[in-house]
Amino acid sequence: MNNISRRDAIRVSGLSVFGAAFLAACGKQSGVVPSANIVSEGVASELATLPDGVVNDAVLLRTAASLEYNAIDTYNAVIDGGLLTGDYAKLSDAVKRFRDDHQAHADAVNQLAVAAGGKAHTCANSRIDTLYIQPALEIITAKDNPDISMDVVALAHALENIATQTYQGVVASLSTSTLRADAIRIAQDEARHAVVLAQVLNGGYGSVGPTTNEATGKPNIASVPAAYGSLATVLLQVGTPNADGLKSTLTLETPSLNALIYDYVDCQ
Amino acid sequence: MTTAQARMPRSTPPAQPTEADKQLLQFAQGVELSARDLYKKAVESGKFADDELAMLQMFGEHHNSYAQAFNGLLGKNSNSTRNETLYSAHVGQLGSAQSAYAALQELENTLAATNTDILGQLRGIDATKILASIITTEARMAAVYGTLPALSLTSALNSSANSLAPTIAQAPEAPTETTVAP
Repeated sequence: MNNISRRDAIRVSGLSVFGAAFLAACGKQSGVVPSANIVSEGVASELATLPDGVVNDAVLLRTAASLEYNAIDTYNAVIDGGLLTGDYAKLSDAVKRFRDDHQAHADAVNQLAVAAGGKAHTCANSRIDTLYIQPALEIITAKDNPDISMDVVALAHALENIATQTYQGVVASLSTSTLRADAIRIAQDEARHAVVLAQVLNGGYGSVGPTTNEATGKPNIASVPAAYGSLATVLLQVGTPNADGLKSTLTLETPSLNALIYDYVDCQ
Repeated sequence: MTTAQARMPRSTPPAQPTEADKQLLQFAQGVELSARDLYKKAVESGKFADDELAMLQMFGEHHNSYAQAFNGLLGKNSNSTRNETLYSAHVGQLGSAQSAYAALQELENTLAATNTDILGQLRGIDATKILASIITTEARMAAVYGTLPALSLTSALNSSANSLAPTIAQAPEAPTETTVAP
C-alpha cells in the first residue's frame, strides 16, 4: 500500500523544482552574458610553480656551502655585536679562527660544487637562518637575559654540531669516494670546533662524556656525546630562565629537502 | 617547499663491502684494536684516577666498539689482530700522564686520518656510513686532548697526522644506471 500522502507529494515535488532551478542558476544558462567589459574578479592567474629540483652532488655541496655562510654570519654577528663579554671575551680569538675556518670550508666546498657542474653559492641558507638562527638570536639578545655570552656560545656549539652532522650525513649521498672523503675532512674540523665550545660550556674531564642535568633531567653539553657521530636533532637551550630556572629549548636539524640549495636557488 | 626530490641518474653504489673494501676494513679493524689495547695499557698504568680514568676507559670502549662494528661488516673475514706497528709506536709513551695524553692525541689524529683515507677508497655505502660516524668521534676525542687540562686552540684544531692506510685497488665498477623515484 502506498503511504505517501497528497501533502508529502506536493512537498517532494516542490523541493525538486527548487533544486532544479538552483542548479540551473549556477550554470551558464543563468542568464549572465559574458562580457570583456566586466572585470573578472576572483579569476586566479596560472599558478606559479617551483622548477623541479634535482638532488645531485652539486646541490649537496652548495647546501653545505650555505651552512658555512650561516656560521660565518653568526660569528660576525657575535664579533660585531660585542656579544662576548666578561670571561667569555677571551674566546674572541677562537671565534675569529672558527669564522676563518668556515670561510676556508665554504671556498673549498664551492670549488667542489663547481667541479661537479654546479654554481658556487656564497651566502647563507635563508631557511636555516629564518628557522633557527634569527629566532635563537632574538631570544638570546633579549634585554632581560642574564647569560647572553654563554647562550651565544651555546648557539655556536649547536651550529657546529649541525655542520658536523650535515657533512657526515651527505657522505652516504655523494656519488664518489673522493667527494665523501672531502666531506668528512671538513666534518672533522667542525667537530673539533664543537669540542672547544663544549669545554667552554661544560668543562673538565668529567664532562667529556654524556651526563645528565639532575635538576632538569636533560642531557648536559658533552664534548664526546656518544661513541658514534649522531645525526639526530640538536637541542639548544638559551634565553631568560623561567621561574623554574629553565631556558627555552630550540630544536635544530640538518637541511632537509626544502632547505637544499637547488641549482635554481641564488643569493638574493 | 619544493616537491621535486628526484636524483640525477647515476650508478648505484653497493650496500655491502666489495672485496677491496673488506681488505680496507680489516686494516681499519686492526688499528682500532691497537687503540683499544693502548687505552687499556694507559688505564692499567695507575697514573690516572677519577674523571681522567673514566674518560680514558670510555675512549678505549669506543675503539673496542668500532672494532666490533667492523666485525658486523666483515663477518667471517673479520680481523682479530691489532696493528702492531701502530701499537708499538705509542706504547712506550704511556710512561707519564703528560706524555700519555700527547701520545693518545697523536693516536686519535692518526686514526682519524687513516679512516678518512680508507673512507676515500670504500665503495660499499654501509661501511662508509659507519666509518663516517667513527671519524667524527675520533676527531672529537683528539680535540679533547687539546682542550684539557688547558685550552690550546692549535692543538685542539690542527692535525698533521699521516694516514697509515694501504691503497687497495677496487675492481672495475659494473655500469648500472638508476633513478631514485620521488
